[in-house]
Amino acid sequence: MNNPKGSVLVIGGGISGIQTALDMADSGLYVHLVESSAAIGGSMGQLDKTFPTNDCSACILSPKLVECGRHLNINLLTLSELVSLDGAAGNFKAVVRQKPRYVDPAKCIACGKCAEKCPKSVPNEYNLGIGKRKAIYLKFPQAVPLKYAIDAKNCIWLNKPGRCGACAKECPAGAINFDEKPVEHVLEVGAVVMAPGFKPYDPSLLDFTGYGRVPNVVTSMEFERLLSPSGPCLGHVERASDKKTPRRIAWLQCVGSRDKNRACHAYCSSVCCMYAIKQAVIAKEHMAGELSAKIFFMDMRTHGKGFEAYFERAKADGIGFERARVHSIIPAPHGKGETGDVLLRFANENGEMCEEVFDMAVLSIGLELDSSTVALASKLGIDLNGDGFLKTQSFMPVLTQRQGVFVCGAASEPKDIPQSVTEASAAAAEVEKLLASARWKETKVKEYPSERDLKGEPPRIGVFVCHCGINIASVVNVKAVTEYAKTLPHVVFSQNNLFTCSQDTIVSMTDIIKREGLNRVVVASCSPRTHEPLFQETLREAGLNRFLFEMANIRDQDSWVHQSEPEKATQKAKELVKMAVAKVASHQPLSEGKLPVTKGCLVIGGGVSGMQAALNLAEQGFAVTLIEKGEALGGQALKLVRNWEGLAVAPVLSELAQQTISHPNITVRFKTQVKDVEGSVGRFKTTLSDGSVVEHGAAIIAVGAEPWVPQGRWQYGYGVDARVKTLHGLDEILKKSQTEALEALSDVNQAVFMHCVGSRIPERPYCSRVCCSHAIEQAIALKDLKPKMDVFMLYRDVRTYGRREHIYEEARSKGVIFVRYDLERLPKLEGVGARLELEAFDPVLGRQIRLSPDLLVLATAITPRKDAGELSKFFKCAINADGFLMEAHAKLRPVDFATEGVFLAGLCHYPKPIEESIVQASAAAARAAMVLAKDFVPTEAIVAEVTPAKCVTCGVCGKICPYKAISKSQVTGKAEVNPALCKGCGACVAGCRSDAIRLKNFANKELIAAISAGGC
Amino acid sequence: MTAPDEIAIKKLTLKLKAYVLEKFKEANIDYCLTCGMCASGCPATGLEGLDPRKFLRLLALGQDDELLSTNWIYACTICGRCKHACPMGIDVGRIVYLLRGLRPLEDRPKSLQKSCELQKTSCSTGISNEDFVWVVNDVLEETCQNEPDWAELKAPIDKKGAEYYLNQNAKEPTVEPEEMVPLWKILHTVGIDWTYSSKWWDGANYCMFTGDAKDWEYTLRKQVETIEELCCRYYINTE
Repeated sequence: MNNPKGSVLVIGGGISGIQTALDMADSGLYVHLVESSAAIGGSMGQLDKTFPTNDCSACILSPKLVECGRHLNINLLTLSELVSLDGAAGNFKAVVRQKPRYVDPAKCIACGKCAEKCPKSVPNEYNLGIGKRKAIYLKFPQAVPLKYAIDAKNCIWLNKPGRCGACAKECPAGAINFDEKPVEHVLEVGAVVMAPGFKPYDPSLLDFTGYGRVPNVVTSMEFERLLSPSGPCLGHVERASDKKTPRRIAWLQCVGSRDKNRACHAYCSSVCCMYAIKQAVIAKEHMAGELSAKIFFMDMRTHGKGFEAYFERAKADGIGFERARVHSIIPAPHGKGETGDVLLRFANENGEMCEEVFDMAVLSIGLELDSSTVALASKLGIDLNGDGFLKTQSFMPVLTQRQGVFVCGAASEPKDIPQSVTEASAAAAEVEKLLASARWKETKVKEYPSERDLKGEPPRIGVFVCHCGINIASVVNVKAVTEYAKTLPHVVFSQNNLFTCSQDTIVSMTDIIKREGLNRVVVASCSPRTHEPLFQETLREAGLNRFLFEMANIRDQDSWVHQSEPEKATQKAKELVKMAVAKVASHQPLSEGKLPVTKGCLVIGGGVSGMQAALNLAEQGFAVTLIEKGEALGGQALKLVRNWEGLAVAPVLSELAQQTISHPNITVRFKTQVKDVEGSVGRFKTTLSDGSVVEHGAAIIAVGAEPWVPQGRWQYGYGVDARVKTLHGLDEILKKSQTEALEALSDVNQAVFMHCVGSRIPERPYCSRVCCSHAIEQAIALKDLKPKMDVFMLYRDVRTYGRREHIYEEARSKGVIFVRYDLERLPKLEGVGARLELEAFDPVLGRQIRLSPDLLVLATAITPRKDAGELSKFFKCAINADGFLMEAHAKLRPVDFATEGVFLAGLCHYPKPIEESIVQASAAAARAAMVLAKDFVPTEAIVAEVTPAKCVTCGVCGKICPYKAISKSQVTGKAEVNPALCKGCGACVAGCRSDAIRLKNFANKELIAAISAGGC
Repeated sequence: MTAPDEIAIKKLTLKLKAYVLEKFKEANIDYCLTCGMCASGCPATGLEGLDPRKFLRLLALGQDDELLSTNWIYACTICGRCKHACPMGIDVGRIVYLLRGLRPLEDRPKSLQKSCELQKTSCSTGISNEDFVWVVNDVLEETCQNEPDWAELKAPIDKKGAEYYLNQNAKEPTVEPEEMVPLWKILHTVGIDWTYSSKWWDGANYCMFTGDAKDWEYTLRKQVETIEELCCRYYINTE
């Protein structure tokens, strides 16, 4: 490939498209982000809260929207669609057609006067048609770009020129342009990433749900909008028929999924179980607990990280779970319910006919591909898979059949946000591999205005108080807080905003800082955890040093926790603002240095994930040291025979290993472990077990996990009776030739698989995610080898999520019998060493079943490695309660650690199948490349500083410092902080007995000012 | 027989399942998700201790004796709601039909089998063809006389070349003859050319409900032959 382009086309502005665009734009590629609607944000923006963290979806998405919107290397093309794509990987020519917005984005100030005057109301599609919007509209309050658009289909003027034009008359900026014409952009790009997302299933096709006919039956997407503070009822859920607050709500799972008879979708939509639980939990919270919520389900699929615990918590909180697929929903007849109530008919698991009346029913609708995406796929020459999603490669689900065209997100298979975000980063990694030689060739460089000199200026503080929709304003009296702020010392400006993080507020904040001559800023809003960088960036753009900023956390630490006490919450908000003002008044501008980046990565672990990450980075041109504790590459995958789609693992594995060993940019070191780590992002120095030192700019931890050894009440004769095996034990047989395998299985006429051995129990409360598919794939293999063999599956919930549902169906079609068991009625094994007899209870018939297995296969849990915990300490990464490494954010930063420059992939994060490990490893490589692609890293500005006169050279600080940043000065003999190594943790400050160390902007002066301001 | 408390499976013997699959290749018994949507909508759920889900489960677990003796197969009306609701489209009704056919004659519900036997001779209630013709003409005459608006009403029998052939559930001419009249009135108002036949006029499907394909075919064939003799173009089935 000669001279590839350094630009990339991303199609789709949902979370997947946004993440892949940001990753690439931050690694030296220029991105054209094409979105068909008027604003980016996709489906995630429409959601209320997200599982399993219960984060407000719009709140965690918003910073990314804003970042995308103002990124110098992202060209946002809204209202646009791809017309054609010619050429080949590295050198594509894309034609993109942009429809007119009829509003000049350069002039629109998003004041909303146009929409106020527009006489034409139409159903608001952002709220799924609940409520109205105008023909000139803003997609949602935090829309990026925050510019109005005219919907040509409904605009009176555009249909009958001369008839209306109210918006043009009203617009103070003269932004309306009815004469705007479509534009065609011809873009030369090296690669294309498709992130077109999904379409929610339309349940009106299913008569039994009553959707569209029976009042108060809504879809889950509609319910998200009802729950949302920015939705049609501002988060106070009410039912359409009579505006009553529902007190009894039912959720129906698998509507449009796992139904090939009426819905024509045999696959599982993967996300509905979790979102239904989340909706029930959040709805209950909204209604102060006065909600009776029940979820009707077939198998509860909570297979992701933190999901099972969420499910258990929901049960403990009183959410009802009924194992039944509801047959029909009808209006409750007189005598059984009030007008507007709905009656559900179902048979419970015992087979008893039941009727139950609810105020409202929510249909947990599945995911499918939109017809426009199908058309797009055919334009790009990408086939669809059997389920009508985009076809991708089995072991690497971001690769398509066309080189240079990649896919991420729900368009290839239904998937949740963390998995979509991971794929987005993985697609970025694959693009970067392809276009590495064109890095930084087409990008622009950000120029900030020079920082204003503040010498001699008294503090002039501006306070911005956020409503956060109703997140804050429904509890805290925001106006009162804003007025109060005006009375505080040095405060010269104060205002309140609906969403302070929205693009218009951010832009106007820059103007206000300049206009009012502000030199310090306080934002009272959500949390610095998610939003501090955004506001600091705003200060820089206004010519202020970014450390002249302080945040008052009046949402996470106030409105969310004091919902029932608005007055006290308002008082607390005032005090928090007062503290922030007092502290920021003494803030000084801090300077940030920069250090050259060591352009190499350390990858720890030589399994599939480690190899994939190493190879990707090596192909991008970075030096990689891969260390492996054992003597071979391959890890757990060496034990596997096939992936869920039935494709052999061994060839993939040996090719990965071969490439890893032979790649000139990779050094593999066996029998090697980490002994010590110094430094930080961009400049790590790691000492290995052989005493050698590796310098690297980033690190990827991929140390894997291990199978649990059955014991205690879960032993089932394992280790005592040779007929009892684990999944890996059976894999050893299935790896043999057909003749040998048949020989080994010659005595086996009945095989029984026992699921969840060691998983989903109080002592190990997570789901091991892969075992259902693994066991089912083995059961199919047994049936194929010996069709007359009886095969039974003793399971708790079959969790063949997504397209894996097909193998569940295949296993059944081949006669594998599934018997569900409960922890309360654990199957009992007798006759160990003699004739094995396994007694289980069949809930369908309500009878005991006595099996006589010749082979008992235990699907054991995947457990974290103990040494992963040790390793995490070296890199200052956390592990969760289950012992798995903990990512920075479960939803949006699934491969990052909170420690900068350190990333994770594979089983050490959570149990996952091989293709998900591969994707995650590529994603980790993309994130590491964001560090390695740059020549410099900024050093920490908030660092410790020694006052030599006070130092008594006791050496305590040097011993305490986790970053080895303090040493004895050669000149003064006193303690000295190396600002390049210091991370500003403050441990030395607390440890110093003679008050000789201070942390910049966190010294006693600032902190005492803040503390004395509190408690007023 | 009463259901056993425990099912012991040393080796699955699935004779009945094999029989069903031989007769009905798309039975898809194994595809069952045990989700219970069939049972949720079934009018026979809970009767005789069974429902469509339990029924399929017994079949999958080889509980042939129980299936061959349960009277649930007669509680099931073969209405097809289960098939409509089933995410896998399993047609339990058709399986029930096959099992009914396996029931020895003497063990079948007496009235059902008797109705079929009678239908094989004349009609399912046992009235003779002559009685049927007499009753139809008698009711018609009465209606024409008593209701001036309907003086022209007709109920043709064996009218060769009529466009529509109409069959009749035997229950009405046997016990509620005046119940036949509303349909005649509708057909008259619409103005179509129709006829009954004086033999094989019974439209009931008792020989289908007994599960005997041969008997069912026999009664159906007789009806078809009659229609062909009368040269009718359309067949209106009232059952």
